[in-house]
Amino acid sequence: MADLPPYPGTPRWVKVFGIIAIGLVLLVVILLLTGGPGRHMGPGGGGGPTPSSSVTEHRL
Amino acid sequence: MIMAPGLRKFVLAAHLTFSIGWIGAVVAYLALGVSSVTSQDALTVRGAWVAMELTGWYVIVPLALAALLTGLVISMGTKWGLFRHYWILISLALTILATVVLLLHMPTVSLMADAAREADGADLGGLGGDLLHPGVGLLVLLVITALNVYKPRGMTRYGWRKQHEERTVSQP
Repeated sequence: MADLPPYPGTPRWVKVFGIIAIGLVLLVVILLLTGGPGRHMGPGGGGGPTPSSSVTEHRL
Repeated sequence: MIMAPGLRKFVLAAHLTFSIGWIGAVVAYLALGVSSVTSQDALTVRGAWVAMELTGWYVIVPLALAALLTGLVISMGTKWGLFRHYWILISLALTILATVVLLLHMPTVSLMADAAREADGADLGGLGGDLLHPGVGLLVLLVITALNVYKPRGMTRYGWRKQHEERTVSQP
């Protein structure tokens, strides 16, 4: 069986993609930690789109 | 296992239909989200939230799951494989990410739709909108589409090794 030719390495576009992805993940983490958009707890959960208190009162 | 040509075309057609349908449904959702933010009419805002909930659960979620499933089948059932090419691996990761975020976000949309159903007209303005999730989601889906159309070069180490093994077997 012939030897495996050397792996040419990870393409540049994948590295650029990875750097952008890491930057976006960090941005999302920062937004979540600072209480910005992106939480999935719903009304009363402290994040995401939340109805005003006058709206939620009607549901009680 | 490599699929027969007829089956491969059928699964590919299904995958394209579900994937493009997913993008179209997100665009429609985004239009509803914009109207829920910009409209001054209480009925429009209420209707937009109810429609966003229905569109999300009954159109976007099924299309996302179907696109993910058919994508897995088409990649594993053809010479492309699932882990051989970077563009497929990244497309898979982004599709899983988009689907997970969608499933985590939809309960919040349901709560907002419930609140919109029961709120008075004056209170509907306090609901706000839902533009971030569909906006970023649409961007991710367009990136996946571009990867699938252009298929940029680049094999993973696993794909490189498998390709060499197959060439060795076919050319003893």
